[in-house]
Amino acid sequence: MIAIENLVVQFGGVRPIDNLTATISAPVSGLIGPNGAGKTTLLNVLSGFVSPVQGAVKVDGRDLLALRPLDRVKSGLRRSFQTEQVVEDLTVAGNLYAIADHVTGPGERIEAVEAALAFTGLRGVADTLGKALNLFQRRLVELSKCLIGKPRLVLLDEPAAGLTDEESATLRELIMRIPDEFGAQVLLIDHDVELIRSMCTQTLVLDYGKMLALGPTEEVLASPDVRRAYLGEF
Amino acid sequence: MTAQNQTLARPMASPSAIRVPREVLVIPVVMAVFTAAVALLANSFWLTAATSAVALSLSVTGLAILYGQLGLVSLCQFALVGVGGWVTLRIGHAWHPPFEVSMLSGGIVAALVGLIFGIPALRLRGLYLALVTLMLAGGFQTIIGAWGFPDGGPGFLGRADGAGRAMLSRPDLAQDSVPYFVYVSIVATIGLVISQWHKLARPGRAWALIRKGEHVAIASGVNVLTYKAWAFALSGFLAGIAGALLAGNVGQLDGRAFTAFESLNLFALAVVGGVYNWYGALIAGLLLRAVPALLTDLGIDGYVTIGIFGVALFQALATAPAGIAGQISGLIARLTRKGQKP
Repeated sequence: MIAIENLVVQFGGVRPIDNLTATISAPVSGLIGPNGAGKTTLLNVLSGFVSPVQGAVKVDGRDLLALRPLDRVKSGLRRSFQTEQVVEDLTVAGNLYAIADHVTGPGERIEAVEAALAFTGLRGVADTLGKALNLFQRRLVELSKCLIGKPRLVLLDEPAAGLTDEESATLRELIMRIPDEFGAQVLLIDHDVELIRSMCTQTLVLDYGKMLALGPTEEVLASPDVRRAYLGEF
Repeated sequence: MTAQNQTLARPMASPSAIRVPREVLVIPVVMAVFTAAVALLANSFWLTAATSAVALSLSVTGLAILYGQLGLVSLCQFALVGVGGWVTLRIGHAWHPPFEVSMLSGGIVAALVGLIFGIPALRLRGLYLALVTLMLAGGFQTIIGAWGFPDGGPGFLGRADGAGRAMLSRPDLAQDSVPYFVYVSIVATIGLVISQWHKLARPGRAWALIRKGEHVAIASGVNVLTYKAWAFALSGFLAGIAGALLAGNVGQLDGRAFTAFESLNLFALAVVGGVYNWYGALIAGLLLRAVPALLTDLGIDGYVTIGIFGVALFQALATAPAGIAGQISGLIARLTRKGQKP
């Protein structure tokens, strides 16, 4: 469970996150909002790449902001980026070992990498170099990396961007299995409302750094405020 | 397999499984063939040039770690060669220990200086890092111009006058030119193997993530500071060992040979040789020493090499970013694929 309290992020005179208080508890939750709403900034705060000027964030009761970014990774925080970050001159397995080296014990690495490869169906391309992968495979590598070494909170920043409907559906099924099979909570940003609707039981909507809505996804998406601000309806 | 493929293609199975990848095993084999060919065919002039070339290939390997693995442009590598040479001569003349002790001391001190030189890299990249490291090379040029290299004299600087000047002894096992060339080749092979292992194992994977982006690396649990520092220390160590081997080659070093321009030249030829394949360093070493030797042999002024290297650098940057080694690697890959077709 992610508990955010009075969170403020300030860059000069701009507040990308403005006094945000929210509790996100669903196994798979969505984070949506128009461009510039502060979604990625919030993920960066959770990852430790951006320091808030005020507020508190607790994950499963633990003070997240007190931890250095590396300690957050060691405690089970995983994330993917808006632009996929597969290393092109490492193989698929090499990309996974690159994180396994730092978050698993020496005796657990092979098992952790094999489990992630099996989960995402990438075992057949384990020895293929990153540069030879298509976008879907790259997205799956990114997801696989998030599953290495006992993840507890997985942050996905537009994991389905650029994928076809079929690929998106496959990715959706995989993400929905993560809480049960890996015991991790998932928070994902996506602009595809249907993807959010089909996956997330709870959704947080941000607008100009403030919370516009938070609750069961169907209710949130039906809210007139959300439809006006995010879906462009009048 | 293309140029970059060879560097990081396959992770180690596990730390407990002792499995030496083919990309590492091939190094001693190629080096043995190269060493045997030079030792049997070269005259004393070419043997001296080849010894320097192989020694310098170690410093290029260090540069290839920084540029090829981390994408960092360091223009002070030849200064670190000088640091290694200075310490080796200083310790060798002061206490006359076995050559290996002086050499390792040179490598360790150069690693520490490399680590200090790498501090700007914690904040800077690209052109700014290049400029700062070039200034450090210029600083070393000024210091070594004033101090000179130790040659058996007293005091900290160890400078002797006239007849009191002494030469550093070579290793007991390799007093003559041919055995010393073989000795240098063996040391270089060990250095190349260490470097290649780093590229293929955990450090190489961490460096690849850092090259992708520091946030990407941190999100994967990589301690960016530690791995960058390790790269600079290893690069400095290899440069220091190269300096020690150069000192052993002729028994002394000349401060005028360690200018900032030499660091620039070394970087340019590392790119021309190829920073993504281990043998790119050997090619660069040969270009640095064999081409001037060839021109001298033909009675042409060695400074012509500056123009030749400039053209070669332009050609590499424009058409072959993986350098000569990358082109060789591509050719081998094409031939191998062709051979595999039914």
